[in-house]
Amino acid sequence: MAEEKKRRAVATQTAAGIPKFVRGNLAATLKAKEEGKKVAKAFIHDGQDEIMRAMDIVPAWGESFSGICAAKRDAEKYLQKAESDNFSRSLCTYATCHIGFEMIREELGGVMPEGAPWGGMGRPDMILGNGQLLCDPRFKWPQALQHYLRDVPVFVTNMYYPPWDPNIDHHEQEGFYVRYCTEELHETVRFCERVTGKKMDWDRLAAVVELSDRTWDLFVDTYDLRKAIPTPMDTGDAMNTMVPITFNIGTQEAYDFYVELNNELKQKIAQGIGVANPEKYRIIWAAGLPSWFALNDFQYFNSKGAVFPVEVTYRDHEKIEKLDLPKTDDPLEHIAWRWVRYWTHWYDAARKIPGSTPKVARIIEYIGDYKCDGVVFHSAFSCRSWHAGIIHQAEVLRKVYGDIPILIMEGDIVDISSYNEADTHNRIDAFIETLDAYKNKKRN
Amino acid sequence: MAYYAGVDIGSTMTKVVIVSDRIEASLIGPTGPEHRKLANKVMEDALNRANLRFKDLSYIVATGYGRINVPFADRQITEITCHAKGLHSLLPTVKTVVDVGGQDSKGIRINDGKVVNFVMNDKCAAGTGRFLEIIADSLGVPLQRLGELSLTAERATPISSTCTVFAEHEVINQLANGEPVANLVAGVHESIATRIYSLVSKLQIEKDIAITGGGAKNIGLVKALEAKFGSPVLVPPEPLITGALGAALLGKEKCEKALRDGYTPTRSKEGLQEAKIFS
Repeated sequence: MAEEKKRRAVATQTAAGIPKFVRGNLAATLKAKEEGKKVAKAFIHDGQDEIMRAMDIVPAWGESFSGICAAKRDAEKYLQKAESDNFSRSLCTYATCHIGFEMIREELGGVMPEGAPWGGMGRPDMILGNGQLLCDPRFKWPQALQHYLRDVPVFVTNMYYPPWDPNIDHHEQEGFYVRYCTEELHETVRFCERVTGKKMDWDRLAAVVELSDRTWDLFVDTYDLRKAIPTPMDTGDAMNTMVPITFNIGTQEAYDFYVELNNELKQKIAQGIGVANPEKYRIIWAAGLPSWFALNDFQYFNSKGAVFPVEVTYRDHEKIEKLDLPKTDDPLEHIAWRWVRYWTHWYDAARKIPGSTPKVARIIEYIGDYKCDGVVFHSAFSCRSWHAGIIHQAEVLRKVYGDIPILIMEGDIVDISSYNEADTHNRIDAFIETLDAYKNKKRN
Repeated sequence: MAYYAGVDIGSTMTKVVIVSDRIEASLIGPTGPEHRKLANKVMEDALNRANLRFKDLSYIVATGYGRINVPFADRQITEITCHAKGLHSLLPTVKTVVDVGGQDSKGIRINDGKVVNFVMNDKCAAGTGRFLEIIADSLGVPLQRLGELSLTAERATPISSTCTVFAEHEVINQLANGEPVANLVAGVHESIATRIYSLVSKLQIEKDIAITGGGAKNIGLVKALEAKFGSPVLVPPEPLITGALGAALLGKEKCEKALRDGYTPTRSKEGLQEAKIFS
């Protein structure tokens, strides 16, 4: 039974439209089954979005499904189901929540499990993974899922970027990786053509890719507006407004969403309307995904006059910025360039700060750009790839940047058993007091 | 003379300290389910001990887990900030504080009485006073005797379980196997010290190091922590009251600053009464 939870307020009107996107994405998978379209279990940030959009393949986002279950505080039954088949609780709970859901559906002979959030998600006709470096579930999740969906074909694209190494010139190496990624994407298209029985419309793909680029640039411009003091939107909303760029890239709806958000933020800035009134403390969300079941904690920060004008969540090491990409006639090569340049750990900024690392250099730049007074990390125990090394980052940050209040929150993305609201708020209270002392010290 | 009070409602004990230019009175009483709403009683007793009336107090700060439920307090401040302030007033050379309370343990890095950084273990009982209570109960040894008893141990029996419940089971099994009680208690202290050290190591530990909270009253645990830190661990004269003392001092600081700035701090309109939230 889902826990009844107070509805979370959003700072921007535009963000209030996000549930429509999320529901729409789930509903699209169900409608696709009725219309005979193919549904692909897919992952965000795998470089396959535009291929799917151009071939009318409807993505079924596992991370989104599990995030919704978490936000509704109704993931436990799926986590327990996966655990009953020996999936450890310490594995990615995005994966185990979704796998638990699919296990139950298969046991019901394909019938949607009762109480599935927002009508549930359509059964996939194919599973697309990516053996990329972001996290191991990218290729283990598809394998594990096929164990239960035996008739569903799996394709794991292998896309890499230059290794983490401050001693190599990544700019020299990137061309090789782009060629490799391009070839992998062509193979992905051939797989999708086999499953759908349709040929790729290359002109349509080029148009989708061009729309994605425009949406990305608009997204960057829009998020840059949050530098304003007071900030018109903080991470509490940004964790919602990332939905179109993350799950709907390459669609006109996503582009239109950021037009609307951009206009609203400009209007708020002109009127001096901020998330917190008064805005006392500006904090960077310096690592990690949030606990989707506890997004209200952002409002708890806001109630203390603390705002998050910036977060690092959706890029591994570098800042969110516009990408300078070489011209090419091959849309897949364009995606490959975007991929490699987006994910490579460039070290360019880190080399300018001795003793630093790309992640820490990014935090330092953001502290300056967004005039932040403190740093909050969130350590989600089940997400090793994105959350390991947080203590190291905090230590390096203190060493190379100096004195700044840092809070490391502990929880998970989906598993609520890791969370205690009273203690979390107690930590936030203590952190706010530390911030206050730090600001007073700086003033004096 | 102006008087200021700090009230620390912890998970197991409620502490009140009244200060002027010195500590006028301090009192420690149980929090417990029945007493939880009776912070006013502990305050009354402390006032009696100091020979003061409630209206003599210029400002009251509440801290600890129950700080929200002290209707007569003028301000709430977290125990992290209060421990730092209180300990600094007693042991000014201390830079790292380990607080072992009834239901959590904390590490606090301080500089000039201000919090620089902190870590908390609030998800597992294994590094807290609760662990000691459970083990004391299992071994039939009064909690207060655990420390001295452990100093007579020939060796510390390793306790490998990291969960309090399983550790209790392990201790009972070892007891059944004939392991001396003193060795088991020493092993338990080493186990707690290992967990606390692991927690506090997330901070950049700087000397001097001090311990507060109920755990500080256990000499065996203090020795085990000293071995882990490789450094003496200082213990304030009454380690239970540092939070309440810090709260009182922060209230005093706020009032004195307000007076210097030419205004009077806002006071709670509530008199000395029970917390209504529990009724």
